[in-house]
Amino acid sequence: MENLKNVAFSALEALKARGAQQAAVSASFSETKEFNVDGGEFSLFRTLFDNSLSLTAVKDGKKGSIGVNHFDTETINSAADNCIASAEASEADDNWEFGPDAGEHSFEDGITEPDMNLFFRRCQELVETIKSDFPKIMIEQLIASHNTLSTVYINTNGTVFERKSGLYNLMIMFSGHENGKGSSFFGTGFSTCDLSMAFIDQASLKRDLADVEKQIDTVPVSGKFEGTILLSPGCLGNVLYYGLSNFANGNAVNAGTSLWKDKLGEMVADERLTISLAPRSEEIVCGDRWTGDGYLCEDFELIKEGKLNSFIMDKYFSNKTGFERSGNYCVGNMIVPAGTTPLSEIIAGIDRGLMVGRISGGNPSSSGDFSMVAKNSFIIENGKIGDAVSEVMINGNLAELFKNIRDISKEKEPDGSCSLPWIAFDGVTISGK
Amino acid sequence: MIKDILSGYKSSMPDGVHTELRAQMNRNRAVVLMSGNIIRNEREDISGVSARSYKNGVYGFASMAEISDDAVKKVLKASLENAEFLDKHISKNREIFPALPDGRFMRDISMPDPEQKIYVEILRMMDDYIEKNCPGLVSRMLMATSNGVEKLLVCSDGHDIHDDITRSHIKFKLTAMGNSGNPVDLAGSFGGYGSMLEIANNMEGLYRQVDGVYERLMDKRSGIHPEAGIKTVVMGSTMAGILAHEAVGHTVEADLVMGGSVARPMLNKQVASELVSLTDFANTAYGQQTPQPIYVDDEGTPAKDAEIIKNGILVGYMNSRESAQRFGVEPCGNARAWLFSDEPLIRMRNTLILPGKDKLEDIISSVDDGYYLLDYNNGQADTTGEFMFGICSGYEIKNGKLGRPILDTTITGMAFDMLKTVDMVSDTINWTSSGTCGKKQPMAVGMGGPALRCKVMIGGR
Repeated sequence: MENLKNVAFSALEALKARGAQQAAVSASFSETKEFNVDGGEFSLFRTLFDNSLSLTAVKDGKKGSIGVNHFDTETINSAADNCIASAEASEADDNWEFGPDAGEHSFEDGITEPDMNLFFRRCQELVETIKSDFPKIMIEQLIASHNTLSTVYINTNGTVFERKSGLYNLMIMFSGHENGKGSSFFGTGFSTCDLSMAFIDQASLKRDLADVEKQIDTVPVSGKFEGTILLSPGCLGNVLYYGLSNFANGNAVNAGTSLWKDKLGEMVADERLTISLAPRSEEIVCGDRWTGDGYLCEDFELIKEGKLNSFIMDKYFSNKTGFERSGNYCVGNMIVPAGTTPLSEIIAGIDRGLMVGRISGGNPSSSGDFSMVAKNSFIIENGKIGDAVSEVMINGNLAELFKNIRDISKEKEPDGSCSLPWIAFDGVTISGK
Repeated sequence: MIKDILSGYKSSMPDGVHTELRAQMNRNRAVVLMSGNIIRNEREDISGVSARSYKNGVYGFASMAEISDDAVKKVLKASLENAEFLDKHISKNREIFPALPDGRFMRDISMPDPEQKIYVEILRMMDDYIEKNCPGLVSRMLMATSNGVEKLLVCSDGHDIHDDITRSHIKFKLTAMGNSGNPVDLAGSFGGYGSMLEIANNMEGLYRQVDGVYERLMDKRSGIHPEAGIKTVVMGSTMAGILAHEAVGHTVEADLVMGGSVARPMLNKQVASELVSLTDFANTAYGQQTPQPIYVDDEGTPAKDAEIIKNGILVGYMNSRESAQRFGVEPCGNARAWLFSDEPLIRMRNTLILPGKDKLEDIISSVDDGYYLLDYNNGQADTTGEFMFGICSGYEIKNGKLGRPILDTTITGMAFDMLKTVDMVSDTINWTSSGTCGKKQPMAVGMGGPALRCKVMIGGR
């Protein structure tokens, strides 16, 4: 860590010596050990040693940034030269600002000394369990890694942050196959520091595998109707991400394209919905501890009981728009409190709709209109889960969706990055062939 | 320029192990101008060395963020140890790949790397042009990007290379207020192979691209939601590119074939109309250099075109050396890695649906009731061949004539079903190369094709 601090301070001094009035430097060293399974077989073991040095300078109100991955003096000086040259090529904007002196903070979390033998055995166990308990499943790819990161952030206001962290990540993609037929592929994963539990029992993996086995045979949905979509926690995370990016992101507010730009303090969602961005929560594994512009991360409620409490706003966009900076900018670390209704009761109350495991579609437009393919999904009719479906589209508007919540489940499926329940939304157009 | 300290290690690579040793530098440049303000101004230079060892059917890989003899020795040792760790626990006992002929490929690697102020100046000129010529916008986002990759590769067998490929683009998104009171937006891109200087020397071409996007955005303000259901559509040539890449290309990557993709049982079977042929070109198509010219891949395989669909019949997959061995075919050079710290994966290079004989205007006039789909903002496909493309620009076709513009929507279908409905193929093609394919690692790819008439399911309200 001392070496990283020396590198960071050398780079900061190099920027100041070249005329930067404000500057920030982040220096990191990472080590990754990763097992890969392809087509159901272990295929690769990787070991990666990497460095990262990021320099940002503001000179005469002009900002420039550069990233390199070497720490030698020649590279640092060259990077400082290029960073200042980039800044000088830019245009003055008084809104660039780093956080004030936050003092010195040191963090250590997660597992920084991995047990790779146990980790490999857990991976082997998972592959064998899937083969025995889910015989129709083909693992297309499994990537299991342990990542250790040592990082230092400093800026010209006096802030010094340092951190050492480590965690295990697992990402798996698979599909179901039987009698020459195949399901859609499905991807899921989790982050953890705990190897005491079998991987098959982590996050939503067991349920996901069972669902995909049932999705080998699909039926088309006929016609078009307005119905209810029940989104799994993983799928919900994507939909919320799209909505918050379009409506709550500082960039969209600043650009004037956000439908919520004039809605701060107003109801934008059903009163049962609360969304927190919470990288420091115990439910989040090794979430960020500081922001890129030099503030300590603080968890906050973005939407509280349906009311828009804040935008996702860094200091630059805060200065641009006049809205308050938010406590963090970690859209990937959402927590939604559970509801009170068991999932089975929510399903039992749906007359006609879809239980959706994945959506395939791009970022909805600024208007919030979306048109997506429902993948890994089941029809719900008369309160019962029916056949898996294919070639079904769901259409609607994200801003309306936030208001049209039918119910929120009592159950949640935290995966180390997010902690979300199931949510059912009404008023969605479902169309088949 | 990367100094060759790798070649000296070739003679010490162990027998019975396929070994690749690679030094690489990625140069990324980006400037973003949002409604006149620079909100991003970055340069990134990432370099290092990596080694991959293939022994008894498993790979070991290791990388370090420095290019030195010490780092080379460490990654060679660690990659072999990693392969041996897996071999000890897995014991596949597969044979090494058939040897490739030795060779060496060096290309002119003096690719220019313009100063950051060139990127800023281009965007500023473009922003001035938009302010002056494109009234009525709510916002405008302009981005100048460049990705350069220099590689030095030494293999235990096959071709060694020293190559440098750069692509540069201007991407932009214009937003206006639609007649319904909701914002509508449309994006465009301009550029391709080469440095940002080539765009600087063709600002008129960039302005013409802006004009076209602006004109369609103004139309889109009064856009309607298309009627949902299966419709006859004319997919513009840009759409054919994403169809070639996402809906077909991924399903015929041999690693996904082995993972159970829809193409697995379809080899030598009819998967498309006989009007449809598709090739993944290595570096040259129809006498012209492709957007992502690959001469030797990252496993040392000399690159050649991979024919995938010929007159509607699936005739081949895209392979690495390992998958080619398993399928009993020759590899065509599709194994590519993004960063020095990435291992080669089976990737597309320049995937093209081949042109036909019809004129675009004849194709449009042949449609009584359908849609002309011009551009997409997203594309995804399943290993089942089910695809989804977000459509951001298009028009109705009524009685053979273009009608009202449509709002954002989505089309979906099963690739091999949809391709069988293709009954007209235009005689001109269009390449795009600004996108980045995602598959564990990002990858720069080219894609393209002609306009197609076909049937597809379109979303609506």
